[in-house]
Amino acid sequence: MVGRSVELKTFSSRDIAWLAFLALLVAVPFIPAIAANSFRLHVLILILLFASMSQAWNIIGGYCGQVSFGHSVFFGIGAYGAGMAVVTYGMVPWPGIVVGMILAAVVAVIISYPCFKLSGHYFAIATFAIVEIFNRVFLVWDWVGGALGLDYPIIKEGIGNLMWHQSKVGYYYIALVIFVIIFGMVRWLEGHRFGYYMRAVREGQETAESLGVNSTAVKLIAMALSAAMAALCGSFFVQYNLRVDPPMVMSLDMSMKFVLITILGGAGTLVGPLLGASVLIPLQEYSRAIWGGLGGGVDLIIFGILIILMVVKQPDGLIGIIRDVRRWLSKKRTKEEL
Amino acid sequence: METFIQVLIDGMLSGMVYALVAAGLCLIWGVMDVINFAHGEYLMVAMYVSYWLGFLANVDPVVSTVAAGAFIFMIGALTYKLIIRFTIGKPGLVALLATFGLAIFLKNLCMNQFSPNFRIMSDTWLSGKTLHVGGLIIALPQLTAAVLALIVVGLLYLLVNSTKFGWAIQATAMDREAAELVGINTERIYILVFGIGGACVGVAGGIMPSYLAVHPEVGSMFGLIAFICVAMGGFGSIPGAFISGLLVGVVEALAGFYIAPVFKYVAVFGLYLAVIFLRPKGIFGW
Amino acid sequence: MFYRFSRLMSLVACMGLLCVLFGFGYGTTPAMAQEKVIKIGTIFPLTGPVATAGQRCQAAVQTAVEIINNKHPEIKTPLADQEGILDGYKFVLVHADSQGKPDVGKAEAERLFNQEGVWAIIGSYNSAVSKPASLVAERMKRIFMCGASSSAALTQRDMNFFFRLAPTDETESVEFVEVLKWLNAKKDANIKTVGVIYENSEFGKHAAGEAKKASEAAGLKIVCDIPFSPGATNLNSEVQTLKNANPDAVLAALLGADYSLWIRTMKQMAWAPKIAISYCSGYQDPVIAKQLGPDADFFMGSTAYSPQFASLMPAVADVEKIFKEKTGGVPFDGDSIQEAVAMLVLAQAIQKAGGLDPEKVAETLHNNTWDSPLSLGGKVAFAKGGQNVKAHSVVTQLQGGEYKRIFPEDMADTQIVFPIKPWNQR
Repeated sequence: MVGRSVELKTFSSRDIAWLAFLALLVAVPFIPAIAANSFRLHVLILILLFASMSQAWNIIGGYCGQVSFGHSVFFGIGAYGAGMAVVTYGMVPWPGIVVGMILAAVVAVIISYPCFKLSGHYFAIATFAIVEIFNRVFLVWDWVGGALGLDYPIIKEGIGNLMWHQSKVGYYYIALVIFVIIFGMVRWLEGHRFGYYMRAVREGQETAESLGVNSTAVKLIAMALSAAMAALCGSFFVQYNLRVDPPMVMSLDMSMKFVLITILGGAGTLVGPLLGASVLIPLQEYSRAIWGGLGGGVDLIIFGILIILMVVKQPDGLIGIIRDVRRWLSKKRTKEEL
Repeated sequence: METFIQVLIDGMLSGMVYALVAAGLCLIWGVMDVINFAHGEYLMVAMYVSYWLGFLANVDPVVSTVAAGAFIFMIGALTYKLIIRFTIGKPGLVALLATFGLAIFLKNLCMNQFSPNFRIMSDTWLSGKTLHVGGLIIALPQLTAAVLALIVVGLLYLLVNSTKFGWAIQATAMDREAAELVGINTERIYILVFGIGGACVGVAGGIMPSYLAVHPEVGSMFGLIAFICVAMGGFGSIPGAFISGLLVGVVEALAGFYIAPVFKYVAVFGLYLAVIFLRPKGIFGW
Repeated sequence: MFYRFSRLMSLVACMGLLCVLFGFGYGTTPAMAQEKVIKIGTIFPLTGPVATAGQRCQAAVQTAVEIINNKHPEIKTPLADQEGILDGYKFVLVHADSQGKPDVGKAEAERLFNQEGVWAIIGSYNSAVSKPASLVAERMKRIFMCGASSSAALTQRDMNFFFRLAPTDETESVEFVEVLKWLNAKKDANIKTVGVIYENSEFGKHAAGEAKKASEAAGLKIVCDIPFSPGATNLNSEVQTLKNANPDAVLAALLGADYSLWIRTMKQMAWAPKIAISYCSGYQDPVIAKQLGPDADFFMGSTAYSPQFASLMPAVADVEKIFKEKTGGVPFDGDSIQEAVAMLVLAQAIQKAGGLDPEKVAETLHNNTWDSPLSLGGKVAFAKGGQNVKAHSVVTQLQGGEYKRIFPEDMADTQIVFPIKPWNQR
């Protein structure tokens, strides 16, 4: 019976809306206002990247309910995978990306296994500690470049090297592909049996266990998946910035950003990370562009206040606002009908 | 051997200060289940209070530590009134993110107002003074901070465990509704708890300018270590926070000297993981 | 119901994105071409751990632009006595904040070139930010002037549009070791062992690497190598390790607050090496030197400028007046003055090239030797790769709160105090 309802939901009408939205995104670089303005494209690329990244976090943090602040570690492993392939070994980044993703998943399983025994805040703080440990170990580890970091040489642009010099359109489409992969996967998980298992674990480990769900296995698989996707985003990040060092990728700030975006948009929902990213990233980039040059951190002061306001006023995230509006609309409608 | 004892003493002295910073966080966390991410920034603000009192009114940090404590008490109460109040009963992450925003705000506001310059107080009563015991050297400012930490944490423990007010705090921590039923004004308790938690870190920040430069980024590392201490000691356990603060200080010093300075924080975070894997609820957790 | 819900959500998401695309008026290039304006971008860490230095560097560039744009007959630098350059072109600065982060710095460099339409960029203090940011400029064939970043790797990339004014950590390291050899020869100092302490970042790590290379080449033994995490809560174990290894000389690369903590911790532990020489920043910061008072004395470091150099660089005093107005009374230090030099040299090159073709100006920069009264030595000339080969710094020692020139001998004005006086005899 469960299987039946799952099948019914594998393709719903709201997926049509998603596909339409994607078609719109594909066309975006051809809109003249954007084609002429690389900063807008830059903001869009960051939105797609951080939406994907937060969606990766959402798998374990939102759907499975395990709030991890350690995802910058996996992000960083992916970044170093691509970076070392190009800088250290002089190859194309692709094998590095694959190795990075696999390695991130393996590392995620190894460090998560003991951590999953912890509950609530203890788990969160443990993941804090893991980020700090990785950050400092990478800083002194000469094989990965240590504190000096890895700098890309100027090499041929194109899809082979996953690098473009002037135009950002190539980067945009790669970011879009990553976005489609990760959102598509999460959409598929939502309808799949495994997605239900994850939500069951979130709602209550004991209950889930009593229903025959192996909660540890579910959490580990979700974590591995999430970490691999995070690593994919990380490898894009380094190809985009052409430099990687530990504070850039493996920092608490980075981890906080993923969590913040997801929570802001609405954790455990498909559209949440996209909503969060399309609010927070433009906020961050535009406020820096406008006020950053004044010095004195005016942009960050405003950024801080806005985070407080958004979180305090709408703790369920932006999706909560939408729900409220919807409820208000439907109430109005029922009134009219009466 | 002498070096070992010297390292141990240095570690214990800095550990006591960590303990004081952590104690405030621990109280808030234990009673309200709120992780205050802006805790390190409270410390930074307190250091500025102490610095400006010293700079403008020539008050020594030893004295202005009281003022700093009082000031952060107010900041804490205000934080509760303006921000935390709305997040009670919501998922724990909400308060954490709100205080994360507060941390960014405070850090950059101080930078905006006071410039990012490093500020050092040089002519204080304690600065640069040391005690020589045999071959050992004990820095007086750190020693004073440690003694102060011991006193404040002791008082805090007494307050929570042997006063009526403390029992009310404990009751609120256990079950807010039940506490309301027996006539405890839990809203007031929350405000005071947030204030007192702030005051602890305020006192720590008040004394610190006698040996540490003041600048807007100074609190971040202390805040992080405070999280580790609280979680290692066990949820809401003040003795736990104190002991793990001490432990963190000692491990940091020993690892820094005997392994490599660059690994001292790795050792601290590793220690936390080791403890927490053995005792998933912390040393004193239940 | 599900249908309605999803449609609404998608709608809001689209609206959010459309807001980004069209809603903000920001990002279009204002048409300034007909006015005689040259836009120059600056990227400095205006927030974050090294914001102090970044804000001073920004003020230095502003100072230079003010001198060029207005008539300042009292100032004895090129271009000061006329208004603007190239028959009335004036400079306009567009400032950006890198937050000390390489990815932010790179994004800001792209924004400055593409959206703000700047003609060249001056930046970015942190070597780690200068690297990717200058790569952006190089690809666009635009000029990137770098004042103070010290990593030698920056000018080993064979770039055509990158110019760096400050001496590299490589040349500084060699100079430091020269000082040690000179002391051994002249003062019978008997310096045999060296310790290095540095913050574990691009800047510190690179400097320490060069320091070790230079020391070993001179037959000095490295007895301790201490990286530490910047922003540490204490430096007890670091200093204790130093004390135990007890090197004769210490080469140090510490920024701001860490430098003052280091000095104070050494005092607390009642230990000091015979001689300690620092790379730029912490030691150079005049505010820190003042606040540390007598504790800062007898430490040494490389310095490209200090107000006490007035006799060597008479032109600076008038320039510094303008600078001090912007910084609330803080004088130039060795880092920030390099950014002012960068701006002035760039303006001279444009003037000489007679136009705004970046390739021509870059060529002019390479092919000429520039007068620069704000530089020690008074000249600036760039080698292939963009390093300023005339970059000098002298090794100074703080004595009574003043930076006294010690080495090289022909520039010295004071005898060195050697070894460092014990803490209890000050």
